[in-house]
Amino acid sequence: MSNKVVFDNEQISDVVKEQQYVHEVYQAIAPHFSQTRYKPWPLVELFLKELDIGSLGADIGCGNGKYLDVNKNVFTIGSDRSSKLIDICASREFESIVCDALNLPFRNECFDFIISIAVIHHFTTPERRIAAIEELFRIVKPGSLVLIYVWALEQDARRKFDKKHQDVIVPWVVPASKNDPDRKEEAIYQRYYHLFKKGELDNLILNTGKAQIIKTDYDKDNWYVVARKKSCNK
Amino acid sequence: MRLVTHNMLQCHVRGCNVNNYPLQLSEVEIEIQETEFNSQFLRSMIRKLEWSALINSAREIGITTLPEVLPDDFDEDFLRNIHRVLLETHIQQGKMTCPNCNHVYLVRDGIPNMLLNESET
Repeated sequence: MSNKVVFDNEQISDVVKEQQYVHEVYQAIAPHFSQTRYKPWPLVELFLKELDIGSLGADIGCGNGKYLDVNKNVFTIGSDRSSKLIDICASREFESIVCDALNLPFRNECFDFIISIAVIHHFTTPERRIAAIEELFRIVKPGSLVLIYVWALEQDARRKFDKKHQDVIVPWVVPASKNDPDRKEEAIYQRYYHLFKKGELDNLILNTGKAQIIKTDYDKDNWYVVARKKSCNK
Repeated sequence: MRLVTHNMLQCHVRGCNVNNYPLQLSEVEIEIQETEFNSQFLRSMIRKLEWSALINSAREIGITTLPEVLPDDFDEDFLRNIHRVLLETHIQQGKMTCPNCNHVYLVRDGIPNMLLNESET
């Protein structure tokens, strides 16, 4: 599959791009997206299961909440920009709130862990990706861990991308369904992604000056980093 | 929304950086949903809360059973009460008002909506 380049010729603001190509898409595809997102990724599950009992954390960009009940011995608050996805979390009795990852409504340094799975790649500029990462390190306690996953440019399994273009739109297809009156015909939605090169996420994290990298690797079409917030730096 | 979550929330309107915590609860509707008691989990989690904010917020929703000062030792009665207040008490509807800028965030069907207008961010 080749990727179609977007935005080079479009004179719309970053905010509007994210609204049209991310927020509105997730609002529209929430039920179908949720049906396809039920299985936790093993490494994320392992990260959550190794946390100390009684830990308090947040899943920023939690989608349908599939990580919120992985470990019953920790308390995880889910947050997402999409109210439709949070409605799904609430219907599953998960603790969750609607908010924007660029402007989190949490106190400084109040969490023992943070996960951000497949979220940061939806921000359209380096500045906004950095701001989102800064927010994660603002709310986590010094010495505590943050796990971040983002889509990789180099992915080679289900999808292949032209290595020249990091900013792409990727269609989400909701097939027609006989049992669903809202899905009489197939519908295609366009989602924006920034595809991360090897080391790019690591650099964004290190450049905040707030964290050290504990682990960095490739997993399931994504680059991921486990980073620890430094103790001396507020 | 449970009080654990509320204990982490602060106002995040642009420029509202002081006295923006805790958000004042009003016009709340509460629902109790029973859940499994886990004393080891509770013992550790209690220490992570801002206790004075918690007793204030609990009072705002009609709960007056929390001690002013967090005890050094947690007995079974205390933990059972904390379990009820923190994990089984759900704020289904209500308002959360910033004590500094008076911005109001709404809780609807148990979900706090913390999104701001563009002019507020």
